[in-house]
Amino acid sequence: MTNLDISQRIRQLPGWIVLALWALVVAVPLYILVVSCFKTTAEIYGDRFGLPTNWTLDNFANAWTQAQFARYMWNSFAVTGGAVVLTLVVSAMAAFPLSRYQLGWSSPVLAFFLAGVMLPIRLASVELFSLMKTLDLLDSRLGLILVYSAIRIPFAVFILANFMRVLPRELEEAARLDGAKEWRILFRIILPTIKPAVAIVAIFTAIAVWNDFFFPLIFIFDDAYKTVPLAITTFIGQFRTDWGMVFAALAISMMPVLVMYLLLARQIREGVGATGGLK
Amino acid sequence: MSASRLRRAPIEWQKHRAAILFVLPALLIYCLFVVYPLASSLWGSLFEWRGFRMRDFVGLDNFARLFVDPSWTKLSGAFTHNVFWFCGIMVLQNGLGLIFAYLLFLRRRGTAFLQSVFFFPAVLSPVIVGALWRLLLTPDGAVETLLHNLGLLEGRLTILGNSTWALWVLVAADAWNWMGLPVLIFTAGLRQIQPEVFEAARLDGAGNGRILWSIALPQLMPSISSLTTLTFINTFNQFDLVYVMQGVQGNPNFATDTLVTYFFRLAFGAEGAVGITDIGLALALGTLLFLLLTVVTIGLLRFFERRTVRF
Repeated sequence: MTNLDISQRIRQLPGWIVLALWALVVAVPLYILVVSCFKTTAEIYGDRFGLPTNWTLDNFANAWTQAQFARYMWNSFAVTGGAVVLTLVVSAMAAFPLSRYQLGWSSPVLAFFLAGVMLPIRLASVELFSLMKTLDLLDSRLGLILVYSAIRIPFAVFILANFMRVLPRELEEAARLDGAKEWRILFRIILPTIKPAVAIVAIFTAIAVWNDFFFPLIFIFDDAYKTVPLAITTFIGQFRTDWGMVFAALAISMMPVLVMYLLLARQIREGVGATGGLK
Repeated sequence: MSASRLRRAPIEWQKHRAAILFVLPALLIYCLFVVYPLASSLWGSLFEWRGFRMRDFVGLDNFARLFVDPSWTKLSGAFTHNVFWFCGIMVLQNGLGLIFAYLLFLRRRGTAFLQSVFFFPAVLSPVIVGALWRLLLTPDGAVETLLHNLGLLEGRLTILGNSTWALWVLVAADAWNWMGLPVLIFTAGLRQIQPEVFEAARLDGAGNGRILWSIALPQLMPSISSLTTLTFINTFNQFDLVYVMQGVQGNPNFATDTLVTYFFRLAFGAEGAVGITDIGLALALGTLLFLLLTVVTIGLLRFFERRTVRF
């Protein structure tokens, strides 16, 4: 190693320390969360930072059955899955003619959709509540799926239309000459070609819906339909003294996004870069 | 010629019909569950309400009531907290994020890994982040133990119950949650600047700090623009973190109350006597907030568009 290398390394050191400090600020709370899941409440009080002496899975078992996290996870999965599929299908259908036909009315309609990316829908929650009551959609997973899809459609149409616009014409013309219908062209030719965009829309819709708690808070009263974030807010107050179980419940509820993040970190990073934001 | 026109006409109509059929489902869902409730909320703010029932047209009465006590105290308090929140995130999250992004940009190795670590909390629900920090910060919690061990604190850690500091804690937790976002956006922005620009500055003897301030920052305007707009929209919609960490009243003593928590209490009956709503007042507040968000967002986008440097 030359002198230049060494001096350069020393000059880079403060920067590395700053970056490492923030990495610790991110990692330590998560580390405490994870180790606490495997400790008894007495041990959590005794030693907050060390590894558990006896690794126990009781906390997970209690959270899963006694605190009914199995049920809340199922509700969250059903609502998230339903919203992702519905959003993708109807948004792809809308983006297709709007971006690829010469229609004359496509730019105003696209602009009308685009405005929805910004609209603060929470401020309409009173009227939305009345509407859901009229349609008998309170206390139902379908109600949540419809509301979430409506909120995510503008973003999805925007991204999908942007990707579809730049595809070459020849792509669909051959199929059209063979007599393929629009439906088939969209789902068999266009969508497979823009898989990255479909993935971005699916990931961001899934994260946003999985994490939301505002709409379950106002639309769901029956415990049978509660989603994970809503369950957590009521749960912490109820079981505050059982720290191990509370930590385990938090760990269980972040597991799906953790798995997704580990598998898709690169797509998510690039997606944020491509769309300028996740929220 | 006329024959070909005759033949083309039905095909064109078919195309329009197909297009309408394809656009309709998305348009219907969007209009029914987003556009219609928003429009009827704005309209409803001009009426007197009894519970959930619309009564008489009262013009701007609801808006006038917002600016008279006891509502005015809550409204101005919440607004101040949102402004504080915005400034705090701009400095703590976006400012630090810029520094982290620049440090990552100067290095070859470990960038993708550290970006992934920094971004991870952003995929977690604010509810989980809030619950986690509330557990860590509670008296008896991990942070108290840590401060005891370091000899920085004696007795109980009561920062979440302290009306001077509680809002700072929420802003810090929010910055912890979303720090990865400015880091990703700024590193992407820095990569788009031509390397020659940096080399030229370096040859002129500019240090890293100087290059960041005078060379990189002006060229990062598109990133700064979208982050400022996002930060504004998000801070003025702040609800989840407050609800989970400090309750819907914005404890202690409304010190962490925000415009949306106040709106929620008016609309769903947690303000004053529990169960009694003031829909007229809630809709007026919602309308004002809607106007504020729209006007400021458009203003911000215009402001940055004029200031974007093009080389």
